[in-house]
Amino acid sequence: MSKLKKKRPGFYLDMTPLVDIAFLLLTFFMFTAKFKSDTENEQKFQIKRPIASADTSKLPDKDLATIKIGIDSVTNDTAYYYSLSNEADRKTVYSSDKLQIPDEMRQKVILKVDIKTLESLLKQTRMANIRMRFAIDADKRISYKWIEDLMEAMRKANATIFNFVTDKQT
Amino acid sequence: MGGGGSLAREPKVKRGSFATVRKKKKRVGFVLDMTPLVDIAFLLLTFFMLSTTLTTPQTMEMSVPPETENVDVKQSELMTVLVRDDGQIFKFIGDKKTDPPTKISLKELRAVAVTENMRIENKLIMSLRISPKVSYDLVIKILDELNIAESELTQRLSAKGMKRERKFALTPMTPEDVEDLKPL
Repeated sequence: MSKLKKKRPGFYLDMTPLVDIAFLLLTFFMFTAKFKSDTENEQKFQIKRPIASADTSKLPDKDLATIKIGIDSVTNDTAYYYSLSNEADRKTVYSSDKLQIPDEMRQKVILKVDIKTLESLLKQTRMANIRMRFAIDADKRISYKWIEDLMEAMRKANATIFNFVTDKQT
Repeated sequence: MGGGGSLAREPKVKRGSFATVRKKKKRVGFVLDMTPLVDIAFLLLTFFMLSTTLTTPQTMEMSVPPETENVDVKQSELMTVLVRDDGQIFKFIGDKKTDPPTKISLKELRAVAVTENMRIENKLIMSLRISPKVSYDLVIKILDELNIAESELTQRLSAKGMKRERKFALTPMTPEDVEDLKPL
């Protein structure tokens, strides 16, 4: 310590501008921060989205039903996963007695379902909230068969307009 | 880092004595050690910087016709685009027998979509038949190309004073299609 002091006597760095900028950036990032939702916390797979350039619209964050088709990172199984953005809708849809799912699944945020259950889920969702929009968030490595089956189910549930989730070309 | 070093600020001797004296009188050697403050500020800053996601995913809108709907289509106004198991793209207009499917590349697809639409001016109906074995990635690439063609068409048609109406359908592939595409 004393050696350092000897070398530069009375050295003082004015840190005020540095602190100003640091806090400015800190506030900016604090306000723009968006944390992972419950859905993302529960899912055990990562989706590699396909890349598209022509898109302009952004994904809405309410009234949104998302059908994910993901490949499990451990077992390598492909499956449909269903989630709803509105908590109230989630309760009404998941607790509907027309759904044939085990009771412990009704508490979850994201449901791993087969195509039959998915179809009744879509129907229930349409009944619960007519403004609901549908998004298909699928991994780019899956085959088109999954999408084709899903579109057929959506057609049957009368959810004829939906969105494919993509990443922007960089 | 020498945490408390800056606290013991020594008077600057080399400077003009007047300035030093005046400053000293106002606040006698007052220095606030900002090091811990800066430490915490930067820690939080890094945390928020790393935890934010600035890019939100985008969407591509699609629609499927309702179950009950059945549309009659003129053969001459129908262009079918077929995608085989291995990802090769074929197209034909009208009937398969009169116009056998020809192979096109993904890059040509956009130009084909534009020229065919312009040829019969806005009346073309496009049917996309994709084999279930094709990867989803390619499907999105094809839809993306068609979307780009769409914006080009809207521009060209509005220059002619026409409003673009998109007629487009995703239909399942028939076993017949699969057989027809095999030798190509």
